[in-house]
Amino acid sequence: MSRLRTALPAVAVAAAVLALPLFVHDRYLLKVLSYVGIDVVVVLGLALLFGFAGQISLGQAAFFGIGAYTSGVLVAVHGWPWVAGVAAAVAASAAAGALLALPVGRLRGHYLAMATLGFSEIALVAFTELKGLTGGTDGLSGIPYPALGPFAARTPGANYVLVWGVAAVAYVVAANVVALRPGRALRALHGSENGAQACGIDVGRTKVVAFSAAAGLAGLGGALYAHLVGFISPGSFTLELSILLVAMIALGGMGSLPGAVLGAVLLGMLPYLDAVVPGLPKSAVEVLQSWEADIYGLVLILVMLFMPRGIAGALRRLRRERGGER
Amino acid sequence: MSLLSAHGLTRRFGGLVAVDDVSLEVFEGTILALIGPNGAGKSTLFNLLTAFDRPNAGTVVFDGRDLAGMPPHRVVRLGLARTFQNTQLFEEMTALENVLTGAHTQTRTGWARAALRLPGTGREERLAREEAQRLLRLVGLAEVAHVHASDLPHGTRRLLEVARALASRPRLLLLDEPAAGLNNAETEQLARVLRQLRDGGVTLVVVEHDMGLVMDVSDEIVVLNEGRKIAEGPPLLIQKDPAVIAAYLGEEQLDA
Amino acid sequence: MGSREVSWELLQFGVAGLKNGAIYALVALGFTIVYASTNVINFAQGEFYMLGGMFATFVFAHLGLPLGLAAVAAVVATAATAVVFELLAVRPRVGGDPMTIIIVTVGGSVLLRSLARHAFGSDELALPAFSQGGSIMVGGAAIDRQTLWVWGIAALAVAALWVLYTRTRLGRAMRATAVDGEAARLVGIDTRLLVTVSFGLAAVLGAVAGLVVTPLTQTAYDVGAAIGLKGFAAAILGGLGNPVAAVVGGIVLGLLESLSVAFISSTYKDAIALAVLLLVLFLRPSGLLGRTRREKV
Ligand SMILES: Nc1ncnc2c1ncn2[C@@H]1O[C@H](COP(=O)(O)OP(=O)(O)O)[C@@H](O)[C@H]1O
Ligand SMILES: [Mg+2]
Repeated sequence: MSRLRTALPAVAVAAAVLALPLFVHDRYLLKVLSYVGIDVVVVLGLALLFGFAGQISLGQAAFFGIGAYTSGVLVAVHGWPWVAGVAAAVAASAAAGALLALPVGRLRGHYLAMATLGFSEIALVAFTELKGLTGGTDGLSGIPYPALGPFAARTPGANYVLVWGVAAVAYVVAANVVALRPGRALRALHGSENGAQACGIDVGRTKVVAFSAAAGLAGLGGALYAHLVGFISPGSFTLELSILLVAMIALGGMGSLPGAVLGAVLLGMLPYLDAVVPGLPKSAVEVLQSWEADIYGLVLILVMLFMPRGIAGALRRLRRERGGER
Repeated sequence: MSLLSAHGLTRRFGGLVAVDDVSLEVFEGTILALIGPNGAGKSTLFNLLTAFDRPNAGTVVFDGRDLAGMPPHRVVRLGLARTFQNTQLFEEMTALENVLTGAHTQTRTGWARAALRLPGTGREERLAREEAQRLLRLVGLAEVAHVHASDLPHGTRRLLEVARALASRPRLLLLDEPAAGLNNAETEQLARVLRQLRDGGVTLVVVEHDMGLVMDVSDEIVVLNEGRKIAEGPPLLIQKDPAVIAAYLGEEQLDA
Repeated sequence: MGSREVSWELLQFGVAGLKNGAIYALVALGFTIVYASTNVINFAQGEFYMLGGMFATFVFAHLGLPLGLAAVAAVVATAATAVVFELLAVRPRVGGDPMTIIIVTVGGSVLLRSLARHAFGSDELALPAFSQGGSIMVGGAAIDRQTLWVWGIAALAVAALWVLYTRTRLGRAMRATAVDGEAARLVGIDTRLLVTVSFGLAAVLGAVAGLVVTPLTQTAYDVGAAIGLKGFAAAILGGLGNPVAAVVGGIVLGLLESLSVAFISSTYKDAIALAVLLLVLFLRPSGLLGRTRREKV
């Protein structure tokens, strides 16, 4: 009963988000929002790994790319059904994440950041050089829209519903994990590895699972992206994307799923602000897009200086202080 | 019967022999106090006994099982829990969540079951919460169940770590300086808890500087000095042991 | 006769390796110096290299200063940028959660790179060679004159750093802080100031490296990330925190890369540094010359 009551607002939000195309017919806006939905899926994974378990990854773009290429190649080149391509993408990226975690799991802080960054650069070399598979710098084109049997998501509205439906499921799954025993194991890693071991938590294994989950969600996002855009090339899977994802977590707040979603929405919308702000002059958008990276860098610095726990942390503190006054 | 036995444990750090050929037996249902001046090697010995560190020589056998090569989290599963001299709490979690995390080995919900909230996960969570609340009451922290560990005062943090260790339902519990920083009331609470635990069947090894507490609760005392075991026996004998008194001269009074 | 040609060819690869190695060594030193004062890796280190080259080309081409002055101006400007960055963004978080500083420097690297793009454009920029004339032949191997400049200036920078470390109070304070920051603070060393100084020094080394290779490689706003990775690979290959190890690591990495081009293919030249980075991190994070340190619980 009480579970139903707590779930109700979330269900309402999800329904509202998913029903949006009934009221909004602006194709550009729906497309932009679909990109943001993909960001949300990927960021949810990083939230588990970095936000909750405290394991930084500057290599999420690689998993995003592995997912995109896996599904793109299997569906566009080998004619696999879309679902199978996406499933393979998730499996491949999750496996890559687990493989990376095996050696990387012993590393912490800047070593971990550098190792994941290095891995990501190697993946980029692979995307570029394995021309037979990936098309190299020319990219891979002709990736079909998502289709389930006779139903294909060809319109922006359909793609929007698909992406945000996946995002909603991913959110529920992540929220469940975080609320229960596995989530506490993740947070324990962040708090104190010694303490975690003293609780009987297998630190190494937990890291492997966390990396693998984060990579799997990044791969899922990558697969969605590939089929939404129809064309992928190495330029979409660079360090910039990895850093942007970290910035989303930092802005939204470590250790908070709503925060992560908020961070993804805020930073993901930034270059397409004209889609939601009517009347925003084209020149303003161009300036915004041109200064996009500067803004992301600045956001990272400013958040760390003035709001190290991000928006969610600031709100939490506000609430605690208010509670204290009462 | 001896629940834990260590033989010839030695641990070197470079030229320093932090633990030097130490053997000891911990008998079921007793409280063993491990005392010695700062730097005597007590914490290092704790790390060896709980597999957080590997000895250069010697063996540790818990409940008939050799711990050699076993990762520390497996040791916890066997029923051997510990606290740390520098508390290793999960600062961003509430006191209750810390204890819940301590119940990791006593609960089963994995990623898949949690993700889908399969039947049984809710029940397990509820039972774990009830048990965690009970443990918090036991150490006198029921009031602060929902306070973040980082916001707790020092003495409370140590008690919380004890509660967290208890959540794994240990048969043997090793406490590293649990009374450090506790005020008198808290120390009394701790002494009460320790006796209660022993009477409930938990065997205890306690590193402690508070001699009042040591003499009060322990059945047996082992004295370390410069990595070596220099004495062992019941409290009354240890108090009079000349070697022990010599080791402590200038350090601190035996009867605090 | 054939074998002789092969050995000249090898020498040629060796020259290239030592040239790149000298550059990596300078960047690695930058990492090491900041690490010694903060215990954190400065992810913006590669951008100092980029700024050195970019400032130099700008000052030379647009302000018309002679090459030597342009170089000095570029080094000063880069160091000033680094010091301002440290004072504004790093200093408030020094001594706190290392992850915060890591993220700040990651943000700094993105910001500096993008600002450079806006200030200098996204084209590749060039600088003339420091001295005119053809290559110098050593038997069958040709050594570019600019390569001699690279070696000379790198050697000078390392020597200057050595004098600083061993002969000055500042250097001794830096070494003391590297060994034990807490103890250094207790004996009255201003460790905060040293963090600022270390960023300035790291920027000087990065800028010097960046501008001295620009005549050979050209430069652009986005060269920082790759050189940062290589410099870090060199630093960690030698052993993080040890200046001698940084130099050794840089040279070894440069030679390894060259050999891989000689024996495998140039396609994967850039992947060599990455592979070295990952292998060292996985197998021996303390590096070739470093000692393993265990954490106390
Ligand atoms: N990881 C370590 N590396 C080097 N020396 C250590 C380490 N751990 C402990 N020591 C040294 O071993 C000795 C014993 O330390 P410890 O076991 O902490 O003593 P106690 O707990 O009895 O105060 C001390 O001299 C300490 O400095
Ligand atoms: Mg101790």
